[in-house]
Amino acid sequence: MHDHRLAVEIAGIRFRNPVLGASGTFGYGLEMADLIDLNRLGGFSTKGLSARPLAGNPPARIVETHGGMLNAIGLQNIGARAFLEEKLPPLRQYDTRIIANVFGYSDDDYIEAIEILNDGEGIAAYELNISCPNVKEGGIVIGNSPRAAARLTERARRAASRPLIVKLSPNVTDIRELARAIADAGADALSLINTVVGMSIDVNTRRPRLNYGTGGLSGPAIRPIAVRMVYEVACAVSLPVIGIGGIATAIDAMEFILVGATAVQIGTANYYDPQATMKVITGLSEYCDRYGVDSILSLVNSLRKE
Amino acid sequence: MIDSIATVECNLESATGYRLLTLNFAEEFQILPGQFAMLRAHDCYEPLLRRALAVYRQGGPRQLSFLYQVLGRGTEMLSLLGSGAKVDALLPLGNNWTVEESARAIVVAGGVGSASVLMLCEQLKRLRIDTQIFFGSANERSALGCGLRDFLDLDMPLSITTDDGSLGERGFVTAPLERHLAEDARSAVVYTCGPWAMMKRVAEISRLRDVMCFASLEAPMGCGFGVCVGCVVAVNTNEPSGYGSYKRVCTDGSIFPADVIRWEVAAMSH
Repeated sequence: MHDHRLAVEIAGIRFRNPVLGASGTFGYGLEMADLIDLNRLGGFSTKGLSARPLAGNPPARIVETHGGMLNAIGLQNIGARAFLEEKLPPLRQYDTRIIANVFGYSDDDYIEAIEILNDGEGIAAYELNISCPNVKEGGIVIGNSPRAAARLTERARRAASRPLIVKLSPNVTDIRELARAIADAGADALSLINTVVGMSIDVNTRRPRLNYGTGGLSGPAIRPIAVRMVYEVACAVSLPVIGIGGIATAIDAMEFILVGATAVQIGTANYYDPQATMKVITGLSEYCDRYGVDSILSLVNSLRKE
Repeated sequence: MIDSIATVECNLESATGYRLLTLNFAEEFQILPGQFAMLRAHDCYEPLLRRALAVYRQGGPRQLSFLYQVLGRGTEMLSLLGSGAKVDALLPLGNNWTVEESARAIVVAGGVGSASVLMLCEQLKRLRIDTQIFFGSANERSALGCGLRDFLDLDMPLSITTDDGSLGERGFVTAPLERHLAEDARSAVVYTCGPWAMMKRVAEISRLRDVMCFASLEAPMGCGFGVCVGCVVAVNTNEPSGYGSYKRVCTDGSIFPADVIRWEVAAMSH
């Protein structure tokens, strides 16, 4: 049933294929179970989990733009403990890798959430969300500063009982500098990019379309930015990289793999095409057929330089 | 919930700016009154997101129609679809109208909000529930565009208002509702769908008369099945909810008891 050519390993975790659902676009996984076969999926990253539940931002929270959308959800989530009690038990019946995305307003909040989640059986790894642009504390405030990001990564690495993936923000001057600092602080892998900060104005009301003012841009519009940043980071650090940003097809995914991503996450495409992850998996097998590839790992960072 | 590729039977203009899209499906399913679908032209990536449209009518186990107003890029794209075109459709989505069988029904439709209540009216008629419909529109053209003829065909008591007086009573649909409830508010339930400001007023009038009111809400949606958490409305915090003070229109609604909603926090600007 599974195509063994697609198997990858990141920080000691084996994924049956490199196609993962991206945090914030995949709910807690269970919401997708009616629409796709979770047992075919490489894995997914949960909606950002904080130590305590968060209500999120007032509406309007999303607005469509050309080739993408802006969101300012504000990390509305049920909290780490409710995730363990309500979501994780039913999720365990599926054979897929669960990555718990972790968020906090302060370093202590992040550590508290990780300590709660350490008790959860069936979580494969943590993804540290230090790049959410839609909250005023934590998130991007930490993710914008290599020093603050390294400090949190170090503490999180010590607290975490599982591999630690750190999710990077593209809203920085030099993402390589950030990546190096986080790699040196002990991260096991990096995922990038989170959304690009943007803004959209209703010229009739002369107000921002989002209640929060700014939001995070996602979707195909940001893909070239994401490919460039994955390329830069893969050259700068030796850690495994998970590519994210506007991926909807296997061709899109291959762009990221060729520039150095060991796996990819599908985000906004889940909204307009809930089958996107399944289509990408099928498409990657077809790509392997076409080019006679034995293992997709042989294509990672295989950009022709001549 | 299924993710299907439907075929356009027809896509006819009901009045300038309003259309009725009829789709044929390979699958059989049963839609409950008030449910909706997420639609886009098949494999169309501009605009990116599907559009949430209420199911207007079920023409058979494999046929559905959607009444919509052409307002922006998404509905403009849908308006271009001709017979035989393919449509990506995710459905059925959302909850349905809860019909209180022991009470008489008052249906308040504003503008293209009518699309969410035609099946409800059909159900009320089947159940032989004493029903009064208030049908409000901007003008005669939009009343016809919003399916007035289909509502008249139901042969149920119906009162028409238009903002400009070109058809029926001049003014907002809330005026005759207010008079109606002032006369007799006993054992009535109000079901409403329309612009936010209208529903806010309908909820107010109902509360003053101590009448139960249900409202079908609209919000820009990313996904339609609960994962993006983009379509929320603010709810009263005394309402128990795993998510705290916001609920998703797509999966927690789209129909809510009106007193749960914090109407002063608009879900979208109209």
